[in-house]
Amino acid sequence: MIACVLPGGGEQLMRVAFLGLIFGLYQPLAVGDEPLRFGRDVLPILSANCFSCHGPDESQRKAGLRLDLEAESKGRHGGGIPIVAGNPAGSTLVQRITSTDPDIQMPPPDSHRVLTEVQKGVLQRWIAEGAAWGRHWSFESPVVAAGVPGGSAGIDRLVESRLSARGLQLRGVADRYTLMRRLSLDLIGLPPTVAEAESFATSKDPRAVEQLVDSLLSREEFGEHWARMWMDLARYADTKGYEKDLGRTMWPWRDWLVRSLNQDVSLDVMTEQLLAGDLLADAGDEERLATAFHRNTMSNDEGGTDDEEFRSIAVKDRVDTTLQVWMGLTAGCAKCHSHKYDPISMTDYYGLYAIFNQTEDADRYDDAPTLELLSDEQRRKRSELQARQADLRVRFEESRTADAVGDDHGWSVLSLSGGKSQGGAQLKAQADGSILVSGVRPVEDVYTLTLELPAGVVTALRLEALSGAGASVPGVGRNGADPNFVLSELEAELVTGGQVQRLQLVRPRADFEQSNWPVSAALDGDLKTGWAISPRQREPHAAIFELAQPVPLSAAAELRLVMRQHYGNSLTFRQFRWSVHGGEAAGLQPLRLSEKTRGLQAELGAVSEDLATVGAGVSKVPVLAALSADRQRETRLHRRGNFLDPGDAVQPSLPAELRFGFELGDPPTRLDVARWLMSRGNPLTSRVWSNRIWSRLFGQGLVETEEDFGALGSLPSNPELLDFLAVEYRQNGWSLKRLLKVIVLSRVYAQDSGVTEQLQREDPGNVLLSRGGRFRPGAEVLRDQMLAVSGRLSLKRGGPPVMPPQPDGLWRSTYNGQKWVNAEGEDRYRRGLYTYLKRTTPHPMGTTFDGGSGEVCQIRRIRTNTPLQALVTLNDPTSLECAGGLAEWMSGESENRVERGLRRALIRPVGQDEVAALERLLSDVRVMFEGSPEQAVALLAGARVQCPATISQAEFASLVVVASTILNLDEFLSRR
Amino acid sequence: MIFGFGLFFCAFRSCLGDNRGVSGRTAAGVQRVLAGRSGFEAAGVSLMKQRMSERGGCGDLQPGSGSVLTRRHLIRSLGAGAGSIGLATALSDSGESGVQHFAPRARRVIHLFMNGGPYQGDFFDPKPMLRKYAGQRPPEADLRTERKTAGLLPSPFRFRPGGSSGVPVSSLLPLTGRLMDEICVLRSTWTDNPNHGPALLLMNNGTILPTRPSMGSWLSWGLGSENRNLPSYVVLCPGKPVRFSILWTSAFLPGSHQGTYINHSVPTPEKLIPFLRNATAGRELQSAQVDLISRLNRHQLQRTGPDGQLEGRLQAMETAFRMQFTATDAFDLQQETKATRELYGDGHFAAGCLLARRLSERGVRFIQVYYGDGQPWDTHSDHNRQAENLARSIDRPIAALLQDLRQRGLLDETLILWGGEFGRTPTSENGSGRDHNHYGFTTWLAGGGVRGGMAYGETDDFGFRAVQDRVHVHDLHATMLHLLGLDHERLTYRYAGRDFRLTDVSGRVLTEVVGS
Repeated sequence: MIACVLPGGGEQLMRVAFLGLIFGLYQPLAVGDEPLRFGRDVLPILSANCFSCHGPDESQRKAGLRLDLEAESKGRHGGGIPIVAGNPAGSTLVQRITSTDPDIQMPPPDSHRVLTEVQKGVLQRWIAEGAAWGRHWSFESPVVAAGVPGGSAGIDRLVESRLSARGLQLRGVADRYTLMRRLSLDLIGLPPTVAEAESFATSKDPRAVEQLVDSLLSREEFGEHWARMWMDLARYADTKGYEKDLGRTMWPWRDWLVRSLNQDVSLDVMTEQLLAGDLLADAGDEERLATAFHRNTMSNDEGGTDDEEFRSIAVKDRVDTTLQVWMGLTAGCAKCHSHKYDPISMTDYYGLYAIFNQTEDADRYDDAPTLELLSDEQRRKRSELQARQADLRVRFEESRTADAVGDDHGWSVLSLSGGKSQGGAQLKAQADGSILVSGVRPVEDVYTLTLELPAGVVTALRLEALSGAGASVPGVGRNGADPNFVLSELEAELVTGGQVQRLQLVRPRADFEQSNWPVSAALDGDLKTGWAISPRQREPHAAIFELAQPVPLSAAAELRLVMRQHYGNSLTFRQFRWSVHGGEAAGLQPLRLSEKTRGLQAELGAVSEDLATVGAGVSKVPVLAALSADRQRETRLHRRGNFLDPGDAVQPSLPAELRFGFELGDPPTRLDVARWLMSRGNPLTSRVWSNRIWSRLFGQGLVETEEDFGALGSLPSNPELLDFLAVEYRQNGWSLKRLLKVIVLSRVYAQDSGVTEQLQREDPGNVLLSRGGRFRPGAEVLRDQMLAVSGRLSLKRGGPPVMPPQPDGLWRSTYNGQKWVNAEGEDRYRRGLYTYLKRTTPHPMGTTFDGGSGEVCQIRRIRTNTPLQALVTLNDPTSLECAGGLAEWMSGESENRVERGLRRALIRPVGQDEVAALERLLSDVRVMFEGSPEQAVALLAGARVQCPATISQAEFASLVVVASTILNLDEFLSRR
Repeated sequence: MIFGFGLFFCAFRSCLGDNRGVSGRTAAGVQRVLAGRSGFEAAGVSLMKQRMSERGGCGDLQPGSGSVLTRRHLIRSLGAGAGSIGLATALSDSGESGVQHFAPRARRVIHLFMNGGPYQGDFFDPKPMLRKYAGQRPPEADLRTERKTAGLLPSPFRFRPGGSSGVPVSSLLPLTGRLMDEICVLRSTWTDNPNHGPALLLMNNGTILPTRPSMGSWLSWGLGSENRNLPSYVVLCPGKPVRFSILWTSAFLPGSHQGTYINHSVPTPEKLIPFLRNATAGRELQSAQVDLISRLNRHQLQRTGPDGQLEGRLQAMETAFRMQFTATDAFDLQQETKATRELYGDGHFAAGCLLARRLSERGVRFIQVYYGDGQPWDTHSDHNRQAENLARSIDRPIAALLQDLRQRGLLDETLILWGGEFGRTPTSENGSGRDHNHYGFTTWLAGGGVRGGMAYGETDDFGFRAVQDRVHVHDLHATMLHLLGLDHERLTYRYAGRDFRLTDVSGRVLTEVVGS
């Protein structure tokens, strides 16, 4: 049964309604007798019923036939031609779809897909009309019909023509107060003041609206408001995500966004900077910072995870997000198999992946590579200090070497007769008697050495750790990233003939010891402790161990030493030397430095400290950095999306059927991708973006599924208008401010949002735009508006995120000391975009009002209405503190406090009936508070206000209740 | 002086009564639901007594609605019941009358949703032929699915007869298996599409298009609420399922019928519902406040014309106010005895089932318990090990829920629906995994007027495709509505010139599974 009751007569309407039924649309498609359009009328039928076997997915293709390609559809296939233009009866497609023979019938009965008679009729009529081919509607270039005026008038014309087809017309313009509040909330995310509204409402200047719009667009709050939309798209968050979800510095990118929007940087320029700012010819810090956009991907710090797995997930996320944000296409499924509905094959997907796959980042703990945001002064100072440090280091080494020669008096270097590394490294004696370790680099190691001893007496042993002055990266340990060593335990034995005698070592001393890692720990029998030398890993060190009993030696004696190094992370010796001494041991020092060396050492220390101070507290923001030409990664298909199951190698490419005439450069880079997205031939970007902007101003997009402009998305409710806006945006030089101005100056935008019975009947969802938009703004606007009206709002801009109050105990940080500490002072009342966003535990104000967690790109926030939201506006401490602020303001008014408070919130003249109702609440509550003053005290404390001297406590507490009531009114919480 | 509940009652009347027509059924509903309740109502009465007043005025914004309050009126206004704000109104608007199409067997639904898609052959649909043809791919099993699969992969889990009816059930579900006499297994369920997104939408919203109301919203709208102190449609999930809130959207139905999503990872009232309690303002204060907000909002609604979203928000505000005093109770698992908590066991799914029972007792119409964040049942690899773990985590809670409801006399009026958005293939994917299978899979119903102890429909020899007594998702929805006293062809909503249905243009009631 088709539950379809048609409002008016005629075969045309009938057809329209049926199509609406089929496609889930509620607006007429083809109007009148105009020929059917392929993209709009025909393709959806083919797509839904035929393409799963005769479409882009090669693995599912049957009979080798593709009906998504014109040439194949109109060419000979098997015994016939599927589509013969102008000849339905001669088309095998028609023969198959109209057949009742189950062996011939298409779609086959076992596919459970059934074409309705209407659908069959559409296909036949289209073939009869000439079977003009086309593509999915959104892949065709946007066109504006001749005769449509430019600017705001064009918008009005295109909406009016749809309305008049339904016997409707544009609704009148909203009153000035409503319009002012609407413009202000939409453009800057904050309400106007009463004074601003009054002056606008009473202005006689015919250009008042335009002037207001211009002034709002030039406010700094503009960028803050629109940045929030971008932050959703960019999956912005202040933490890294996954299990540990540790903090990460991303806010400088958010501030970049606000700056760019306020400067109205055009979308094409922004796109290049966001995707490939590091590759631009004149890339400076601003351009590099922009690329943090794609470093908002999550990274996993959990122990034991495969960094490559999470790196590849991040790269896929970049591909997905790029296609979603600019082209409104969901490509995610092509990770595992070719897209079933849109022309994105697995090869296409990994072709794009190959371009994004060439950046340095690799799911590292320190989020490298990062950009340090130094001021010019800091930068100058840093490079100066670095130069001095390099110079000092050379001079220090020279002086040290000279000292060491002098200090060698009485020491005999031992030569290696046998050495073994437990981990399999090579131990090789060098000309200077030192032992160099090379080859494999185990995480832990034990060196067992046999050393020839000279004749005489031994009183002490000396171990020198050499820093490899000749090496490109100096360091005493084998781990280049951290060239420390840890000598966990040292054992010494004297081997004479077959006799082995354990030597007891005492009074160890070293030239330097890392705190908590003293050299004595190398003799304590505990493998968990030991001697280490951070942070001076790049200088030579020495330690002396005395023998408890001086040992007289026969000629055949050898020394066997076991150097146990069990810390892990390859903190093992790289090059070292053993010597013995035969004299009085008590006075021996590990290193005796000359005055000159000591001076240089002190100077070097001071410079290092200064350097650390220059960088201290400077934000390091993760950014994109291209791999050098010799380090490019090879990209292979991930079979079934699994990075451990690589398939064929893939060359960097753009999706074959979505190139729109754009050619990649050689070698292809992210910059090419940015230029492809913004290229003139790309029909999606301009539509997707103008639809997105429209949606923010009307509460819903012309294409409702903002996230999907592909075959499974909704069709545009007003395709001509969508194309008009798309063309307008491109032609205005991709200026967001200009696009906004054109839209908000239209009569369509300015319409009254009230609903009449006729409108409710004819256009219940306001799909035809028969009235102004009426909707609840997002979480941040609700918060900011409440703060603004209360007088508590801080307009402090930028900087690290802040922590306004949230319920206790929400954050469960198992892994670190991160805590949510409710902010005090102005940080408690900053705009919503500055609230700290922890991916695993976002602030409940955000999530309750449909905000996301920043884990993945959020194209739109789907509005929900639940009781949980009312609990936020009623009970959130911030709400109560705002009520306190508003009450405080009201108490400062000498008369008509309630009326003025209401007016301050609603930005309109208020009715006496409304005021009277609130006045009655005020007096009722006051009586109650007079009877129980302790309740008043508790309320005022919660609202964080002090009762002014001019007013009784009960009266003041009652004003807080009235204020809270005002701030919970739906009219206040709506934009209309 | 009066502001508290007196005014509140007036607001309530204005929203539900006078102009929208409370049906006759409502009064009975009130009586029924009120029986055996005391907590909130008692508190309300005592407060009300304290605040009962000489002045019955409803405020300047409600001319003519003032009335002399009686204790009974107040109880009615505060307490549960008084539902039927959905269909009653809609039908009267469209000129029909009546609130139920026929006598309901069930009053509410608990949907245990195994998001990701469980494999039917592990649980309720034994296929001995799989062993014989293991590793092969006979023509019957050569069906295309989302990804490529290879030969047949038998389930390693054994089956045994369950209950006195002997309906086969897998050893993976030892406790649930004992209760097969309560369960009606639908072995021949099928859906349209092998991809998660569309299949999730079809199962939850009756269409693959992301712009239609969810089944919970249809039910809430069709039947109204039994308890105005709680949302009529609650979605519990310890995280976010794929597609998220679109799966419980009310779309063009009035906003108040949208599912209220609650992340129950940490099942204590204060964590489940942020800002549940106001730290400083007392209840009397808030009741005065909320009452006035409601009146002013309705005033606003009158001025600006109909707005489904606004109406939804108005009701949400009122529900929120009442929730503060009832939700701490409804969502507090600590109020359960140790024995009951042990019956359900540990883990988020156990907590979800126990919460579902508490909510059903309190008259919530539709409760969905999503198994988990993302799609935990989507076992593309290492299927057997995952299936064992997943089964272990649902067996005890499901058995406990059925027993507990039965023991409390609620099972007969509560329909349980179990299943995923589709099933999985009997063929192997990548050796140890199973791909999505929309051709045939198992769902089951229990309680709520369903014939237990039976298996309905059949899949082919390998359990791949439903072949006999096939149950499309539309049929499942039609049957569910039928059990709730609603005719799926008559439960329509006029929107933009067309009457919409949950079952679109299809759906068959499975009369065979409806109990006598």
